[in-house]
Amino acid sequence: MNRPGRTLSIYAIAVYLFLHLPLLILATFSFNATRLSVWQGFSLHWYSAAFQSSELVEAAWNSLLIAIAATLVSTFIGTLCAYGLWKRASTWLSDSLYLSLVTPEIVTGISLLAFYQWIFRFLRLPLGMHTVILAHISFSVAYVVIVVMARLRTLDAQLEEAALDLGANEWQAFRHVTLPVIFPAVAAAALLAFTVSFDDYVITSLVAGVDSETLPMAIYAIARRGVNPEVNAISAIIVVGLGVLILVSERLRAS
Amino acid sequence: MNRRNFLLSSAGTLTACRARRPRLNVFNWSDYIAPDTVPKFEAEFGVEVRYGTYESNEEMLARVLSGNSGWDVVFPTDYIVAPMLANALLARLDHALLPNLIHVEARFQQPEWDPTLTWSVPYMVVAAGIAYNRTLSPAPRSWSDLWDNRLRGRLTMLDDPFDTLGVCLKKLGLSINTSVPGELRRAEAEALRQKSLVRAYLNAEVRDQLVSGDVLAAHMWNTTAQQAIDSSPNVGFVYPTEGYAVYPDCAVVLRESKRPDLAHRFLDFLLRPEIAAANALAARTTTTNGGARTLFPPLFRDNPTLYPAADVLARGEWARTVEPAAQRIRDRIWTEIKSA
Amino acid sequence: MKRLRAWFLAPTWVTMLALFAAPLLIICAYSLETRGVYGGVSLPWTIESYQRLADPIYLAILWRSFWIAGISTVLCLLLGFPLALFISRSGRRKHLYLSLVILPFWTSFLVRTYAWMFLLRDTGLINAALQALGLIHDPIPLLYNDGAVILGLVYGYLPFTVLPLYATLERLDSSLIEAAADLGARPLTVLGRVIVPLCAPAIRAGAILVFIPCLGTYLTSDLLGGGKSVMIGNLIQNQFTTARDWPFGSAISLTLMAMVLALLIAFVRRDREGLL
Repeated sequence: MNRPGRTLSIYAIAVYLFLHLPLLILATFSFNATRLSVWQGFSLHWYSAAFQSSELVEAAWNSLLIAIAATLVSTFIGTLCAYGLWKRASTWLSDSLYLSLVTPEIVTGISLLAFYQWIFRFLRLPLGMHTVILAHISFSVAYVVIVVMARLRTLDAQLEEAALDLGANEWQAFRHVTLPVIFPAVAAAALLAFTVSFDDYVITSLVAGVDSETLPMAIYAIARRGVNPEVNAISAIIVVGLGVLILVSERLRAS
Repeated sequence: MNRRNFLLSSAGTLTACRARRPRLNVFNWSDYIAPDTVPKFEAEFGVEVRYGTYESNEEMLARVLSGNSGWDVVFPTDYIVAPMLANALLARLDHALLPNLIHVEARFQQPEWDPTLTWSVPYMVVAAGIAYNRTLSPAPRSWSDLWDNRLRGRLTMLDDPFDTLGVCLKKLGLSINTSVPGELRRAEAEALRQKSLVRAYLNAEVRDQLVSGDVLAAHMWNTTAQQAIDSSPNVGFVYPTEGYAVYPDCAVVLRESKRPDLAHRFLDFLLRPEIAAANALAARTTTTNGGARTLFPPLFRDNPTLYPAADVLARGEWARTVEPAAQRIRDRIWTEIKSA
Repeated sequence: MKRLRAWFLAPTWVTMLALFAAPLLIICAYSLETRGVYGGVSLPWTIESYQRLADPIYLAILWRSFWIAGISTVLCLLLGFPLALFISRSGRRKHLYLSLVILPFWTSFLVRTYAWMFLLRDTGLINAALQALGLIHDPIPLLYNDGAVILGLVYGYLPFTVLPLYATLERLDSSLIEAAADLGARPLTVLGRVIVPLCAPAIRAGAILVFIPCLGTYLTSDLLGGGKSVMIGNLIQNQFTTARDWPFGSAISLTLMAMVLALLIAFVRRDREGLL
């Protein structure tokens, strides 16, 4: 069964519609001439307003930087960790990873804030990008480990054994045999980590400093006051921008 | 390892690069200043201002409580000043650097929360009342009108324990600041009776729904109501007959600030009548600056929502800091109301 | 072997100790302290916060949270599995379809939630469409209830089931499926008896990744529930903000975490491999 059947395809279309419906609405109303919820005419006014809103642009840029940095680190750490745990379990590490998942975001945020306050008394640092990135890494690692582990469990251990028998050392076996095989799972985990980081509001808002407002924080502030199509515009730009990136990477991968 | 370090340090350098002129970090409520106030200040004093916004006192407090948040000037509501003072977060104000303090209205010159204005400078005032869609006839006049069955599913209350309990207390003829458990429980009973009528507990978000008619009556702050009225003639606002809560907001300088002089200049700048007037006009708020009021266009000066008549003003009751013991009861009551 | 493994686990150990264990210890300490006069924490040490928890009102809130989170998790799995199946069978376009699942989540969660509020309102598109089709006369209240909250949660956490399921399905040993087919099993039987059991670890992974955050959610239940119902996340958030009762908030959090951890251990230790 290598191609999806018709029922499955129809189902997939329906789900994709469901997933993208709010986006389509957003995009449509980002072109609305007024900020009301009734269509009043086509206008690019909100896009120019969004670009001129240094608050939104800066926040978007911050969000991207933070998400990229946090994703790279947490995917790296998490993949290694999943591999290590797969070889031989460690109850302590597993349990603490569990716990980090189980903790409500507000608690993670408050505890990190308290922790930063405490060590910053000695280091004399303020809250800022670095605190946000570290916070994002701390909650992303568990996600990466889970996704990669789920894949590793279905992996045939004999692959590595064969490589070892052929004279490779453990690092080579991992790097050249296992890693390429689980790469799609690692990529999926990275996607998940990026999403979780980009989207985070609660923890970020608590540990962000003066200069590190992220997009969710900016949007929360703006949207809390009611409908503002500038938010629609910048969201549409981000989605299109990232979408283009994905398409390009797909082309590169396929060639 | 190297690539990661590079990314991390470049993120840090980028943020550091922005500091060239002296910088002031101001943390204020959203939509609470005129768009050109900050640029004017930056131009006149040759500084750079980073202007952040928040939606609630708690949000601001959570960031500032640490003592190294990086902010210089924040704008707490009056009842937050005491907790901030207790946590040694505030810098003592030097009145020599605030000549424009004289412009503050008489009734705010010796406010309850800070009689000598040692720690805070009054900024704007917010009050809570009833905003309604004009299709609702007869229009609501008192808080008890919000218990009317005709509003079922078309009524919203503020998602704020102090405000909503305050409404119930006022309906019973009690003070919004009471700490008497019996009185608070009676207010709770009222709130529970009302809950089945309430569509949702919402703050500013309900504005659009009020304009569109989804919601017929909303417990709302006057600034939000004014914004709704600006966007549609369908919306009206009334200060209920039983009385209402009043929340003066003020500006403070944080003790952690490394630029207290500049912070004082900013506060003084805000106190200039023409600047205060511009802020109030743009934000659609009630200013505490008497000098500013003389500069208003007549329509704004006599705006009944923001600048009501003296007899309406007299019905207002200022919000006070809640004592810890009472805070626990109120919090418990709010949980009970919300989860009923 | 041991040394390599130690190196592989070291970064995570450091991260967990510094950025998770240490902060958590602080929260533990907070839960045993007293609320400061105007908020925050102060001495003396006391277990009063935990004692306050043994109250039916908080138990009711907990029950409600489990209920809503549970339904959302089941829905996410049911909706996510066929989609993951579809993507894993899509040949060259796999990564594109996968990215399409993730793409909506690169806008802010808040923006998407507001979009749903916009759709679900009495004057929103869904009601307008239903009325235009003549199916209803008056708008039905789609917003500000538990259903809206569940919708928001499912919408928000769907990729958390799709991704792990896809990662496993993608490399499923097709010879097993062919063998089942050869033995005469119909496609649905193959699905139920072969594919799904093979995906058990991924299903567990997805379930955990959805259930836990749903349990602790507060923005969704606040925005889509209209603030009318309290989930445990709202309760905790309230303690750290409006009530400024950090000890109580910490106590609730730790209790919740302990309960869920116990569930996880019971749920997962049934098979020898576990989740992590």
